[in-house]
Amino acid sequence: MIGINAKNVFALLLLAASFLPGSLPACAQQTATVTISVKNHRFQPAQIEAPAKVPIELHVKNLDPSPMEFESVSLRVEKVVAGNSEGIIRLRPLDPGSYSFFDDFNQSTNGVLVVR
Amino acid sequence: MYYLRTARAFLFAAPLVVAAGFGAEAQDNPAFYRDVETKYIFGFTEGSGIGLEGEKEFSLETVARMGKRDGRYWASETKLEYEFTPNQYVQFELGPLVSTHVIKGVTDLDDRNQLAMSGIFGEVRYLLLDRGPSSPLAITLSAEPEWHRIDETSGARVKNFGLELKVNADLELIKNRLYLGSNLLYEPEATRDPDGIGAGWEKESTGGISGAVSYRVLPSVFIGAELWYLRHYEGAWFNTFTGDAFFLGPTAYVQLGRKVFMTAAWNVQIHGRDVDEPGSTLNLAEFSRQRGKLKLAVEF
Repeated sequence: MIGINAKNVFALLLLAASFLPGSLPACAQQTATVTISVKNHRFQPAQIEAPAKVPIELHVKNLDPSPMEFESVSLRVEKVVAGNSEGIIRLRPLDPGSYSFFDDFNQSTNGVLVVR
Repeated sequence: MYYLRTARAFLFAAPLVVAAGFGAEAQDNPAFYRDVETKYIFGFTEGSGIGLEGEKEFSLETVARMGKRDGRYWASETKLEYEFTPNQYVQFELGPLVSTHVIKGVTDLDDRNQLAMSGIFGEVRYLLLDRGPSSPLAITLSAEPEWHRIDETSGARVKNFGLELKVNADLELIKNRLYLGSNLLYEPEATRDPDGIGAGWEKESTGGISGAVSYRVLPSVFIGAELWYLRHYEGAWFNTFTGDAFFLGPTAYVQLGRKVFMTAAWNVQIHGRDVDEPGSTLNLAEFSRQRGKLKLAVEF
C-alpha cells in the first residue's frame, strides 16, 4: 500500500506537471528558427513568418548601438537585447494567426509574426 | 461618511485626470491600442493574464472593507507583492501582508485601532486556455495559500490558514478594447480557537462567482463594472450555509507609464442575507457594507 508522505505527493505532482502544456522538453518537438533584425529602430523585415503548432526559436539581432526590448503580450514574452548583439526568444507552439510585437524602448518600432 | 465619498472620488477621478494627457494623441489609431494584459482590468475580478515571460513586478495592493451594522468599521489588508513569470504558462507571487483596523462601537467586535504585520501569502497561476487569433477566451487557474496572525475581520490575534482557489476567465469581445471577465471562487479557511474558549480549529469556507465588463476608453485607460455574489459557510466544504451577499461597483485601470500601472475598484453590498437574522436585506456579519481595492505596480 502506498502511504501518503511527502515523497509520494512530490512524485504525484511531478507526474501531473508532466501533462501540462509547456512541460515537454523542447527537443521532443521540431523547432522552427526565425530571425529578425532591428536597425535604425525598425524591424527588418517588419513581418516574419513561422509554422503553426511547433516551438519557435526567434533570433533578434539588434544592429543598433542602443539596447532594445522585444515585447509582445500575445506572444507573452519580453526580452532586453543589448546594442550590437543578439537575443534568443523561445516561443511556445502557436495557433495560426498574427501576433504583434514592438520595441518597448522605442514604441514606434512595430512588427508582426504571422503563423501559418 | 464624508471620508468614504472623498476616497471614492479620489480613486476614480485621479486615473481620469492622469489619463487625459494621453488621450488626444491616440484618437482611434489602432497602433496605440496594443494587446493588453487582462489580469488587473476587472477590479476585484481577476483576468486570465499571467504576465510576460521574464517580467517581474513589485506592487502594493490594498483591499479595504468598510461599514458594519453599527458603529465605525474600517479594515484593510495590503499585499507587498513580488510577482514573476518564469515561462509562458505559469506565474508566481508572494509577499507579506500588512493590516489596519479601526473599529469603534461595532456589535460583537472589540474596539481597536491598530496597524500590524498580519501574515504572508503566495500564489501560483497556471494558464489553462490560451487566447489566440482564433479563440477570444482565456482561462487561468490560481491557488493562493495564506497564513494570517491577525484576523481579517476583527483584528484580533489568531492563527489562521486559508487557501483561495480561483478560476479566472475572460473573453475579448472587441479586439484590444472590450472584455468580459468572470471568476469562480472557493476559499476554505481554518482558524485556531478564534474565541479563546479552547474550541480547537474552526473551519469556514466562502464560495463566489463574479461577472465584469471592462472597456478601453483610452489607450492607457480601462473603465468597467463588476458584480460579485459571495456565499459563506461554516465548515471547509460548504457544510452549513450562514449567509450571502451581492456586491456591485465600478472599476478602473490606468497605465501610468511604460512600466507603471494602477487599478482601482469600489464595491457596495446591494443585497445580502444573514441566516442568524431573518428578514435581513444585507449580510453585515460576514461581509462589509462596502469594499475598495487600490493597486499600484511597477514592472521591471
